[in-house]
Parts: sequence; C-alpha cells; structure tokens
Amino acid sequence: MSGFESIQPDPSTIGRLLPPPFAVLPDPRRLFRARAERFAALGQAGDLSPYLRFLAGLCEAQAAVADTLPPPEPIPAAQVERAREGKMPPLDRNAFRDSPGLRAVIGPFLDAMVPVPKPQPAQDALEWLRRAPEESMREMLGNVVADAIPLEAIPQHLFLSAAAQIEAARLASGLDAAKLVPVEMGVCPVCGGPPAASLVVERPGAEGARYAACAFCGTQWNEVRIKCLACGSTKGVGYKAPDEGGAEPAIKAETCDSCRSWVKILYHRHNPSLEPVADDVASLGLDLLMQGTEYRRAGFDPFLIGY
Amino acid sequence: MNMELSRRGLLKVAGAGVAGTSLGAMGFSEAEAAVAAHVRPLKLANLNETRSICTYCSVACGIIAYSKGDRRKGERAELIHIEGDVDHPTNLGTLCPKGAALKDFVKSASRLQYPMIRKPGSDRFERVSWDFALDRIARLMKDDRDANFVAKNHDGLAVNRWTTTGMLAASATTNETAWATFKVAKALGIVGFDNQARV
Repeated sequence: MSGFESIQPDPSTIGRLLPPPFAVLPDPRRLFRARAERFAALGQAGDLSPYLRFLAGLCEAQAAVADTLPPPEPIPAAQVERAREGKMPPLDRNAFRDSPGLRAVIGPFLDAMVPVPKPQPAQDALEWLRRAPEESMREMLGNVVADAIPLEAIPQHLFLSAAAQIEAARLASGLDAAKLVPVEMGVCPVCGGPPAASLVVERPGAEGARYAACAFCGTQWNEVRIKCLACGSTKGVGYKAPDEGGAEPAIKAETCDSCRSWVKILYHRHNPSLEPVADDVASLGLDLLMQGTEYRRAGFDPFLIGY
Repeated sequence: MNMELSRRGLLKVAGAGVAGTSLGAMGFSEAEAAVAAHVRPLKLANLNETRSICTYCSVACGIIAYSKGDRRKGERAELIHIEGDVDHPTNLGTLCPKGAALKDFVKSASRLQYPMIRKPGSDRFERVSWDFALDRIARLMKDDRDANFVAKNHDGLAVNRWTTTGMLAASATTNETAWATFKVAKALGIVGFDNQARV
C-alpha cells in the first residue's frame, strides 16, 4: 500500500498511502497466454484435466490470434467521453455485436481451434460454426454479448464467446484506465458485464484489495470487500469453502443472504498463481457443492455455464 | 447475468430435466462426473470476514477479522486471521506492529476474560463474579475518596480533587461513551485520568 514507485529515495512519499487503482485493463497477448499457461498447469492432473487441457488449447488459440492481429480501431474518444459523463460502460456491447472488428477475429479464431484436440460434440459444433449462416451467427452473437447462453447450444456459444473475448480485450486495452468511472456495483466499468469471480490481490500498491474480474473483456476493477457483487449488500455476506481442516482456503464462495446469490473469491495471498477465469473452471467442485445450498451462482463465465 | 439465471430457471420450471452444462455439452461429461464423485463426501465450512476497528488507539484503523464458523448460523466462530482493511480510508490496509499482532492479543493465554482478584497475602488470582467485583471496586473507591478527598486548596478555595486514585479508560469507545466516562471521572474529582487512545 505504500506510495513507493522507485528505489530512488524520496522522503516526500514517506508515510503517504495511495488508494489502489480503480481499474486494471488487460493486455490481450499477455492475458490469453497467461490464462493458457494457468489452464495447462491446472490440467496436468486431476478429474477435470481433459476439460482444462482443452481450454488451455483454446486460450493458446486466442493468444495466437491476438498476436497476429493489427492494433484494433480504438473506441471513438467522443463515445468514451459520453459514456463517462453518463456513467455508462464505454464498450457498447450492442454495437460490438455487429462491429467489423469482432467479425474479423471469428474466422481466424475458429481456424486456430481446428487442430486443438476436442471431444466429438465440440468438434461438431466447431465444424457447424465455420459454415454457420449469417442469420444464425448474428443471433448467437446477440446471446454472447447479452451473457445469455441458451443451454441447448452451449458449444457454439462457447467458441463465439472465446472469439468475442479476444476483440473485447483488444478494445479494452486501448482505453485509459485512469478515466474509467464506476458504472454500478458489480458491473464491469468497460463493457458493463458481470464478474466471473473476484480476486484479493497482493500487487504492490494494492495488497489486500479486491478486484472483480470480467470474463468478457478481461478488465479487473476494484470493489469494496465483504460486499455482495450481485446486489451490493453488506448485510449477511458470508463465505463457504470445502472443509479441509486447518488451512485457510485460497478459493471461497462469497454468499449473500440479501439476494441469495454467490460469487467466487480468490486469494492471491494463499496462491499467487490464481487466474480468475482458469481457476473458476478448475474449482468446479465448489460449484457442485454450492448447488446443494440455497444460494445461486451469480458469477458469469462462458466456460462454466449451467451451474 | 440475471438473464442467464432466469433462463436457466425457466428451463427447470419447464421440466427440461437436467439443466445443460458447459462440460456436458462439450463432451466432457466423464470429467464432470468424476469431479462430482470426488466432492460428494466433502462438506462446506462456513467462514466469515468481518469489518471491525482496531482496539488499540484513537487512530481507529479498519481491520478485517477472518473466522471459521458463522455465529449468524448458530455456530461457534473461531478467529483465524486479522489484517488491515484496504477499503478503510484511515489506514488503507496498513497496520502498526501492535495492530498486526491483534490475533495474538485475542488468543493470548493470559488474556483477561472475566473479573479476577488477588486477595491480600495470596500468590494467585481467582475468578470472581461481576457483582462481587463491582461492589468491591465501589467500596474501595468510596473508602479511598472519603480518606483522601481534597475539598479546599491552600487558599481556602473550594476544589474537587481526588488525587489518590487514577483512571485509565479504553480506546474502543464512541464519542458518547468517552463523554460519559469523562463526566464520571471528573464528577468524582479524579485528577489522574488518561486514555488508552493516547498510547
């Protein structure tokens, strides 16, 4: 939490504290590569390793596509300013749905997914997507930008969500984090989406601060701790984790008695490798245990639909 | 977010059977079933994180106390960790060495949890009731004040001075408690009066 930024002595900063930065924007290349590495590490063993290894390949494909693309057309400054004045997210998801930038990543991403090993249903969905008519494509993208994945067509939407993540992260990376303003409690200040999970980070200057992580555009934004990310209540917030004796868990479910929902919270203090999307999937066991409670999942992760 | 949830709710109501999941739909049902089998015997523990204020001094730093067990759910809560509250404007998550050691303060084997007395000539403290303790404190205060109260100074001016008994008040108080504490001490004439908040 100290304000020290360099190793040069600067007496004027002694004892001065700086609040943690409000938002941390993604670097698309680093974001997807780091996520791929985390998925691969998590997928080395365990019950879930086939799915985790598949998602490692998917994130690697996202990183490869992000590497080859030219810098994106930035969100127009006037739109950013207008959004800021109206406390709206600068990335307009409805406009994003029909943007040429999004269409330009879908083809290369689906191509990059072809060599990734996958079960037959995923294979079929990918093949169908690569020939999908424009009308279906537009409808599915509408579902993707609305975070409303129909349960009867999850695989197609999973691939399209992954493609949309690439372009959304590229657009988010072009924004000025210092100019972002809170939109609403538990809502991404860049794209207006719900968080996948939240992270208690240990970054210098933000030790112990909680950041909600958006799965759609990869932005992380500061939220007050011990506060429900779904309804903003501070009353009746509790935590649940599998009972493993003494050790403090690195991943907990943050539950809210006001709105009866829960969102995962990850602690870098206990495990600095935690990545909000990868570890959200890898901690599926917590979701399954939480299904037996009165709380319902409020975190949104397109790789973990239906829990 | 709510759209996704309401749609799922609708499917369940509509009798669509087992709701679809990412793993099932993508062809990873075996992995999903293995995780389900693995966690089935596990139980969820209730944990809690509670905002509070450090008790040591008047700076009143924000703290977060972690406990296992949730008192709201009728369980016994055991304190497992205390850290600075990063959202608190006073300390932004930092704590001084005393504040950082708060957990040991709570867990201390020699922590005073109820009134104790060491009787004259005894070599140990023994537990007593609050009624006994308060009666005894009042008795001793009264005797000492009756014997040593100063009602007039050297010039014969009326004063209210009780110099043989002192009082050290706590810091974890509100303005209202502090006001009441001050009134009690000064009405009795206590001169040696200080507050833990200055430490």
